[in-house]
Amino acid sequence: MTLELDRLHKTFDDFIALDRVSLKVEGSEFVCLLGPSGCGKTTLLRIIAGLLTQDSGRLLLDGQDLSAVPARERGFGIVFQSYSLFPNMTVAENIGYGMRIRKVEHGRIAARVAELLELIKLPHLADRLPYQLSGGQQQRVALARAVAVDPRLILLDEPLSALDAKVRADLRVEIRELQRRLGIPTIMVTHDQEEAMVLSDRIVCMNAGRIEQVGKPQELYLRPATKFVADFMGSSNLLPTDWVRDAMPALLASRPDGADADYLACLRPEHVRLQPLASGEAKVVDVTFLGNISRTRVAWKGRELMVQTGPIDGVAPGAAVAVSADAAGCGWVRA
Amino acid sequence: MSIVAVEVAERTGFRLRRAGNDRLLITAAIVLPCLALLIFFVFPLAMMLWRSLVADDGSIGFANYIALARTPGIIKATLNSLTLGLATTAICLVLGFVLAYTMTRTRVPGARIISGVLALPMLAPSLVLGLGLIFLLGRNGLISGMLGKRIDIYGFPGLLIADVLYALPQAVLILKAALAHADARYYDAAEVMGAGRWRQFFDITLPHVKFGLLSAGFVVFTVTITDFGNAAVIGGDYAVLATEIYNQVTGQMKFGIGAVVGLLLLAPTGLAVYIERVAAQRQFGGGSEGALPPQLSFVPARDVPLAIVTGLATFSVLAVIGVVIYASFMRLWPYRLTFTLKHYDITLSGGYAPLWTSLLVSVVAAGLGTFLLFALVYGIRRLPSWPAKIVYLVATMPVGVPGLVLGLSYIFAFNIAGSPLSVLYGSLLLLALCNFYHYHTQGFLTMVTGMRAVPPALEEAATCLGSGAGQVLANVIIPVMTPTLVSVFFFLFMRSMVTLSAVIFLVTPSLGIAAVSVMRLDEAGFVSQAAAFSTCIMAVVCAAALVMQLALKWLAVRGGRR
Repeated sequence: MTLELDRLHKTFDDFIALDRVSLKVEGSEFVCLLGPSGCGKTTLLRIIAGLLTQDSGRLLLDGQDLSAVPARERGFGIVFQSYSLFPNMTVAENIGYGMRIRKVEHGRIAARVAELLELIKLPHLADRLPYQLSGGQQQRVALARAVAVDPRLILLDEPLSALDAKVRADLRVEIRELQRRLGIPTIMVTHDQEEAMVLSDRIVCMNAGRIEQVGKPQELYLRPATKFVADFMGSSNLLPTDWVRDAMPALLASRPDGADADYLACLRPEHVRLQPLASGEAKVVDVTFLGNISRTRVAWKGRELMVQTGPIDGVAPGAAVAVSADAAGCGWVRA
Repeated sequence: MSIVAVEVAERTGFRLRRAGNDRLLITAAIVLPCLALLIFFVFPLAMMLWRSLVADDGSIGFANYIALARTPGIIKATLNSLTLGLATTAICLVLGFVLAYTMTRTRVPGARIISGVLALPMLAPSLVLGLGLIFLLGRNGLISGMLGKRIDIYGFPGLLIADVLYALPQAVLILKAALAHADARYYDAAEVMGAGRWRQFFDITLPHVKFGLLSAGFVVFTVTITDFGNAAVIGGDYAVLATEIYNQVTGQMKFGIGAVVGLLLLAPTGLAVYIERVAAQRQFGGGSEGALPPQLSFVPARDVPLAIVTGLATFSVLAVIGVVIYASFMRLWPYRLTFTLKHYDITLSGGYAPLWTSLLVSVVAAGLGTFLLFALVYGIRRLPSWPAKIVYLVATMPVGVPGLVLGLSYIFAFNIAGSPLSVLYGSLLLLALCNFYHYHTQGFLTMVTGMRAVPPALEEAATCLGSGAGQVLANVIIPVMTPTLVSVFFFLFMRSMVTLSAVIFLVTPSLGIAAVSVMRLDEAGFVSQAAAFSTCIMAVVCAAALVMQLALKWLAVRGGRR
């Protein structure tokens, strides 16, 4: 299966929701559309689903244009943030709905529903109504309903956003396992970078209707291409060239050619190290305890740096420290 | 079906039916109710406007308007209507405020009972109140007898009391809603700053409900000047516009003048509805989300007088309606108070036939109305924004047209020789349609609210799973909206059972309805039979209300919604 988006463009009145977006999704990969609210990720998903039509550009499934195919005939599975189970149907009826629409005989529906209930580990809840289920259970049923008709593509629209943190983490793993097992290509929209990193084969990071960067989670985190991606994917110290030249000249080795203002050094907090040293030029501003790690802010050469430290490093605010950076962990991003 | 979809279907072995009729369904949902709205609401009013301009000799102009001004008694009737409307409004506002305040802001017990009693006048034809007053205060009234002197209840005093009792529940409902939107923090702040109770009342409570008061005032005024039943039963010689218009049209066949009066009655109610709408937006738009309800405390100096007034008003409503039921079982009111069922043997105007006609008319009005309203609201969602706005506007207009005027306009639209629409005249269907369009707005707004509760994601999920428009309708929209459909159906049924003013112009000797029968029985002097007939109507409407409550409760249990 290959889904190809070719310069998709969409505006709402004067607002450009999608600015000629091109993207290719292949095989059975799990792709996340990641970005802040209003970046166009949901618009893109809805165009793929057929719930919205693009102003221009093409949407190709295995080389065939989908533009004229209405949502109901695309044969995609979709799961929304709000559980959107039919409130008047039982769990089993919800899961079997797509097959009933397609006039599949009852015996086959029952068998398939039983199989899917087993898969989502809720076989005992077949006859419950949606309101009798927890949020996490409802979302698993919605997932089963989406995959029941063996869709070519699964679309997930922030499926975990309405759930508690604990349930969200559990379901994250389950979605990933289910998707691997069924081998159905999946596109998920999320604004949660951690969720995107856990689930995705590839992440499409979007901002203001454009794609900023596409790549594996590691690539986006370790080698962000733009300032936006560096900022959005975890926290980072973004350092101007002239400051780096003065304070950490070793980082310049990996810098692409270009004017000083074109690039910023992106240094993750875990790639900076502190050494308690009476003669150190840097001063600890404050320490935030986060459990397994601490975040320490230090002032050095006119800037503040974010540093990840262990909980027992014992640096107190006001202490003098020496700062060093791990040059291999430094990437350069376009400003 | 596209190649891709076919491929999907073949690959999975799950075949999808063609979308085919989606467009047809949606087009029908838009065209059908809009066409009906045009024919049975816009067209009659346009015809009335036209007829008001056509003089008896066929010339076009303002001859009817001049003739109206010269009609003897019309000025007097207008002044009487205004006097009555203003007096009723003033009393209802004061009394309504006291009742609403007592129920929402004090710890006077029995709020549920008061609400229950106040619902009674809305479950009966308006003239039942006039009838009850006659039983209590008329020439042979219970109280008149006890006092041993004749009270002249017919005319202004009787009409005033009957209209107050009829309109009071509606005023209370509006004022209760306005008073319920209170925020304790305003009062706490005033308290801390040292304001006394009266200051708090005049500085916080009253300003907050001023739009509610305005709205209630207009509703009461409108209801009063357009009510026909009480004017006919207890009005006596006190001529008002509602009865005058009836006499001009059915008595003297002066259709042109009738049309002019109809238009005149449209003016104040139209204005009232407009102001009410503006007021409703302002009143409820201002409330903050996290308002804290005020702490209710018992203040004897305030609550005891309030409780007495509330109790008296509630008791009056109960007594006036109760006496009608009681009297219907008494052998000879008020001299021989022994139980009998003989008054239930209705001798006049076809016995119980009008009751069955009313029942049938109401079922048709409710069924057809619910169907058309649902189609309209479903269709509107699929219209582009500006045509949807126009349809919405027209659909909410009928509330500004008093039943009396709507019924009158139906004569101009459907009682024309040679017109294909005239086959409807004198038919049960036209009565049903008239009742439906009389209460179109309320049903429409309920339906719109119900449709808003259908989650868009649910529709989209069904679509992505392969549902066509018909399947989305059957599997998503209708199940979610069932409670709304039930409410609208029973609302239309109950209103249709008791309304008189709209259909009074459309009944014929061979096609009577229940509320008209009560009026005819009363006119003919069979007051006890009128009471018996009223009791039957109330029994039917109460039964319908009960069935609705049970149905809604059952749906709530089944749907898991509390």
